[in-house]
Amino acid sequence: MALNPLTVKKLRRFRSIRRGYVSFLVLAGLIMVSLFGELFINSRALAVSYEGKLYLPIYGANLPGTAFGLGYSYETNYRDLQQKFQAEGAKNWVLMPPFRYNAYENTPYQNVFKPAPPSFMGGPEGHLLGTDTTGRDIFARLFFGFRVAIFFALAFMTLTYVIGISVGCMMGYFGGVFDLIVQRLIEVWSNIPFLYMVIIIFSVIPSTLSIPARVAILLVVMVLFSWTSMTYYMRTATYREKARDYTSAAIVIGAGTGRIIFNHILPNTISTVVTFMPFTIVSAITAVTALDFLGFGLPPPTPSMGELLKQGTQTLTTAPWIVSSAFAALVFILTLVTFIGEAVREAFDPKKFTTYE
Amino acid sequence: MTRSSRFLRFPGRLLLTLAGLFFLAGCGKKKEVVVERDNTAEVKAYYAANPQFFRFATPADLPKDLVWENGAELPEIGSPAAKKGGTVYTFLQDYPRTLRHLGPDSNGGFRPWILDDVIMQWAWRHPNKTDVGPKGFHFFSGLASEWAIDKERKTVWVRIERNARWSDGVPITSDDMLFAFFFWRSKYVQAPWYNNYYTTNYAGITRYDSHTFSITLPEDRPDMAARVLELYPQPAHFYKELGDDYVERYQWRVVPTPGAYTILPEDIDKGRSITLTRVKDWWAKDKKNWRYRFNPDKIRFAIIRDTPKTFEAFKKGEIDFFGLSLAEYWYDKLPDSDPLVQSGRVQKNKFYNDFPRPTFGLWMNTSRPLLDNREVRVGIQYATNWQLVIDKFARGDWQRMQTGSDGYGEFTHPTLRSRPFSVEKALASFAKAGFTTRGPDGVLVNAKGERLSFQLTTGYEALKDIPTIMREEALKAGVEFRIEVLDSTTAFKKVQEKQHDISFTAFSVSAEMYPRYWEDSHSANAYDNAFLPDGTVNPERKLKTQTNNLTAMASYALDQKIIAYDRSSSAEEMKKLAFEMEEMLYEEAAFSPGQVIPFMRVGNWRWIGFPEDYHVKLGKSFTEYMLFWVDEDKKKETLDARRTGTTFPPGIRIYDQYKRQD
Repeated sequence: MALNPLTVKKLRRFRSIRRGYVSFLVLAGLIMVSLFGELFINSRALAVSYEGKLYLPIYGANLPGTAFGLGYSYETNYRDLQQKFQAEGAKNWVLMPPFRYNAYENTPYQNVFKPAPPSFMGGPEGHLLGTDTTGRDIFARLFFGFRVAIFFALAFMTLTYVIGISVGCMMGYFGGVFDLIVQRLIEVWSNIPFLYMVIIIFSVIPSTLSIPARVAILLVVMVLFSWTSMTYYMRTATYREKARDYTSAAIVIGAGTGRIIFNHILPNTISTVVTFMPFTIVSAITAVTALDFLGFGLPPPTPSMGELLKQGTQTLTTAPWIVSSAFAALVFILTLVTFIGEAVREAFDPKKFTTYE
Repeated sequence: MTRSSRFLRFPGRLLLTLAGLFFLAGCGKKKEVVVERDNTAEVKAYYAANPQFFRFATPADLPKDLVWENGAELPEIGSPAAKKGGTVYTFLQDYPRTLRHLGPDSNGGFRPWILDDVIMQWAWRHPNKTDVGPKGFHFFSGLASEWAIDKERKTVWVRIERNARWSDGVPITSDDMLFAFFFWRSKYVQAPWYNNYYTTNYAGITRYDSHTFSITLPEDRPDMAARVLELYPQPAHFYKELGDDYVERYQWRVVPTPGAYTILPEDIDKGRSITLTRVKDWWAKDKKNWRYRFNPDKIRFAIIRDTPKTFEAFKKGEIDFFGLSLAEYWYDKLPDSDPLVQSGRVQKNKFYNDFPRPTFGLWMNTSRPLLDNREVRVGIQYATNWQLVIDKFARGDWQRMQTGSDGYGEFTHPTLRSRPFSVEKALASFAKAGFTTRGPDGVLVNAKGERLSFQLTTGYEALKDIPTIMREEALKAGVEFRIEVLDSTTAFKKVQEKQHDISFTAFSVSAEMYPRYWEDSHSANAYDNAFLPDGTVNPERKLKTQTNNLTAMASYALDQKIIAYDRSSSAEEMKKLAFEMEEMLYEEAAFSPGQVIPFMRVGNWRWIGFPEDYHVKLGKSFTEYMLFWVDEDKKKETLDARRTGTTFPPGIRIYDQYKRQD
């Protein structure tokens, strides 16, 4: 795809802003890694060689203990299996991921389920950031919590922008009565408090719905109440662009409305959109974390940063590592996104590149 | 359901209500005009229409051979060292939804403070002398100055204390007891349980004069005396406006009480706080067994919805005591080494008690698909790892519950043991139900492709780790629990509507002589017309909501036993039936017994005083018998010490005189 030379210039400028570019690389890397998170953080083994046969349990169906000559039919405990094989000294072996606990399992500490300190603070081995109140690995929960949150935020951003841009451009392009009516509608709509709507909707949806369905509903509700802010910017930008000669030229040539809006006007207003994107991501992550914190977000035991923060506030004195891990992780992610946002804003700053006026 | 209930952590409920009001207003619903009314004639007509039940006699009709007693020989409870006066600060997790004693929403967390723990019955079962004598339990006098029990005539005669008064000053008379039956049996109060209980369990009441009456029972049950003496009158003058709008009309009216505490209208600050005030010149203030109790002048409840916040408020001294029954609080958050404890400002007490246990466990709704299969339920029983919860979560403090009616002494099944966690046995049971293959996620599926997956609902925010732990263990046995943690009010509504698959909940039980089966196991509380007259299942039966039969248990054979049990007058026969019923319930496997907490633990600031032996055997909460007091001098001393850094000897005490020896 041939890029507009202006866009290429902007991208080059973005790359030259080191802080933002590095943040972008780190975040992109994190997202890529999180896609394959199961390979790094898992109680399942990467590979097991048993009786000359190679098993790759990570992505397949779960393998019962009986598959490896153990006396139980539920999922194999690969950590124990590894120890067993090592003790036996036979040719069987288990290759574990670098982090050997998943986000759901409860591991006792000092023989009871209570928070264990991080391994570098004298806690049990294998729990990089310690465990939460029921002995679940905090690092694993943070990592998978991040994955849920970031993809949720990306989906949220895409949907709000598609709706917000379309409606905003139409308002600006058609103007007149249409603009007037839609503006009033948006004003009314955006005055409905979003948080309360989430709470109300979640109190009436049947609890029998599956977790993905509940996440999807949360997404839809959030999008429904968030698309409006984008319309204002797009409306004004479109108004401005519509008055320009190239738009008139397109109309004269006979281009359709859709073509004019999306092929002619939108590329010229995109800088507004792009600068908002990272901040939308930040607000989406914050919102989903806050909802989890309040207990209206993702259903338990889904890993989530908000849920960890909540646990952390309840165990501030007895297990400070819970809240500090969750807080640090959240700050880290949000800082990355903010740095990217600042760089994007600077790179796409129309003042620098606009040639007219 | 236990009384410790929670409300929303967020003003969402309020908003919902507001939205609802707005909606209704939009629909043009008009406010009803409040009509003054007087139901005296209606009540009289009701008495006249039921001459078999409401009988009127003269003092001359009293049998001459009655043996009157008043329990004066029993040891007194409470401490003479108790100090009167002061204010105790405590908390509620949600604001009471009503001040009514009966009807919808009246069974919430505040009920003990306006009814159970502060009311006066005719007589009170002695909480330390708990053995069963020839006439039943041992009673000390409450509203009755004396009483006479005649097992042959199945009747108990009661003489009311001459000076007994309602908190509004009106004397308490026999008419209030007659009215109580009208009230409990009335359709107005919207309390089907009461309607039924007070219709079927009492045969009649006879008024001899304003201060003497007798109540006759249909059968001579082993706890006959308790059934009469543990009743309490209802203020007839207060309920003059009783009618179809009872629920709304009496929603926020303070019911007059014969007890020590009432609520002043100015102390109802909705959503924020509510305060109990000791009745001025309470009529029983010098009465034995009552004089050293109900000591503080005021008990103020702030609304703190969040447990950690409550704990912080306690540590700051804003509230006076805090339950430390959870291991997390007793061992980690307020360990013996904590400066507050070491400085003696806060005392820690562990007190063993012995009484019928709240029924913590998994209640499986047998009207749901898959759960209607006994083998599935048995499998779930084997798949729930309570022992792990007890050992690892409760740090071995708790005990496993064995039956749904533990703690009833001779009436508890001596040998029946709950099913232990066993993956093999669970899998075997599931296999019998057709669940033989594990899906890719390890959850069992049957030939139709149905997964063995159930919603596990709980309203216990503080215990939400228990389902989380059990979920992981259950997966080993191929069953998935989808956890749903609701606020307690919503959770209670959900299970009462029978909308749950499996509910982790508990009923608090009162210290009765023998367990009840009708409420949670009789088919009448599961379905409307569960069975046809010949005992076969009615194909058109409909699930019955708003009852305590959370398992929707409906067994024709069990029904017969429950009815025989509820009619029996022989303790021996009842024990036999109880054991048989427990065995049947064990076979049905719809209730997975959970944990028994054999003690209560409390942290209190040192200005809160308790009697020397701390409490009573039957005490299930440290406020139940109201034996505590507040020492305002010590409070000042302690608060000064906090500023200056002075310390006191630490107070960490374990009272195990009532510990059950296993």
